[in-house]
Amino acid sequence: NVLCRCCGCRTLLLLLLLWKLEEHLLPLNETLAHLKTESETLKSKLEEERAKLHDVELHQVAEKVEGLGQFVMKTRRTLKGHGNKVLCMDWCKDKRRIVSSSQDGKVIVWDAFTTNKEHAVTMPCTWVMACAYAPSGCAVACGGLDNKCSVYPLSLDKNENLAAKKKSVAMHTNYLSACSFTNSDMQILTSSGDGTCALWDVESGQLLQSFHGHAADVLCLDLAPSETGNTFVSGGCDKKANVWDMRSGQCIQSFETHESDINSVRYYPSGDAFASGSDDATCRLYDLRADREVAIYSKESIIFGVSSVDFSLSGRLLFGGYNDYTINVWDVLKGTRVSILFGHENRVSTLRVSPDGTAFSTGSWDHTLRVCDDCYFLSNLTTLQPRVTFLVTSCNVCCFSLFFFFLSDLGLRMRTQRMKW
Amino acid sequence: MMSSKAHSSNNIANARRTVQQLRIEASIERIKVSKACADLMSYCSEHARSDPLLMGIPASDNPFKDKKPCTIL
Repeated sequence: NVLCRCCGCRTLLLLLLLWKLEEHLLPLNETLAHLKTESETLKSKLEEERAKLHDVELHQVAEKVEGLGQFVMKTRRTLKGHGNKVLCMDWCKDKRRIVSSSQDGKVIVWDAFTTNKEHAVTMPCTWVMACAYAPSGCAVACGGLDNKCSVYPLSLDKNENLAAKKKSVAMHTNYLSACSFTNSDMQILTSSGDGTCALWDVESGQLLQSFHGHAADVLCLDLAPSETGNTFVSGGCDKKANVWDMRSGQCIQSFETHESDINSVRYYPSGDAFASGSDDATCRLYDLRADREVAIYSKESIIFGVSSVDFSLSGRLLFGGYNDYTINVWDVLKGTRVSILFGHENRVSTLRVSPDGTAFSTGSWDHTLRVCDDCYFLSNLTTLQPRVTFLVTSCNVCCFSLFFFFLSDLGLRMRTQRMKW
Repeated sequence: MMSSKAHSSNNIANARRTVQQLRIEASIERIKVSKACADLMSYCSEHARSDPLLMGIPASDNPFKDKKPCTIL
């Protein structure tokens, strides 16, 4: 019942008193020191629980699986037209169209079969770091240094100015690093340099859910395959990959084994795992049900960061685009590299496998995009033994039977080459 | 004085959030790595046949392949 000396009012001093009381009445285990101790205890408990179930490595379990031999990848199309670094690309569900975005501020929609440009939009900012195709194929989303994600409906009329119909959907307080439509054209998921991810309603531009937990810029995200429910994974400069529940906004799992920024995350086709690519020059596979990293894809000779990763349809192959201008292809189960593709003249910045898995596309700082697939592969003679009929295969084009022997680098083993045209 | 109080209550709030987050993460159900890997492997083998980049497909089915006469290396 204290009265203020100047004005006689009670309320201000009462509030101050209550504030001081609250501090003293806080349960003992809520003080900072105790919370820090509890968090350390929980962290070690988490590691312990994860370690208990770590009975084997993936490549050990995969020892009995037949090896893949070496693949040779070939560029089938080169898409030229951007005036500066290509930063992002996405396939349309029709397996034929591609949208790409560039540092020059342009977003281009290509027909990958013919290499024709179907649409082009000039954004009001440079560094368009993110772009995505809508599931319907009727719109594209993009954004970057403007801190926004905008949706452009694609018109059938090539002469129509797409920029006129632009819809601003997402607003962040720092650059947009990635965006993706959910199952429909109605919602977009974004990640940003402001350290958050967010889910937006396209029509109204309303924020539906935000995801806080990263301690630094979020660089990438990927939605779980639709059968596995409403989750997505994000990777950031805090070296963490977080798995989120889209409805509650809760981070349900977190993985911190990379040694540098995570530039790309991609779900395994079954939805039970995801791969990540990082500036630490490794790709890693995390299994969600085992709640731990189960494989690392690295070589001593690979020292440049991975910008982008994606799986082939069956999940057996992992494609990685690297800052040393190459694409490395990994056997996901055995952990070995099965192919390396050269061709780009600068960093590979983005890589996606087509929706039907027939090809993959890469974008690069050399201003181009390439569409690639495998043209033939080499296997050890020993693994081909049970399939002798394949050795005398005929060329699809000219029906000429081809049967080659040649000596490997070591000159010790014979390899057969099967020509697939 | 006010700012240090705000700062410390911020720290407490952050620490509380971290502890809550860790509690959630520590409590999830996990399976053995051997079981998880076996499932990944069986998914691969089930879908290997329909993976064009893994198996290759005839030129007639692949829209990206140009139909050219073959060359002998």
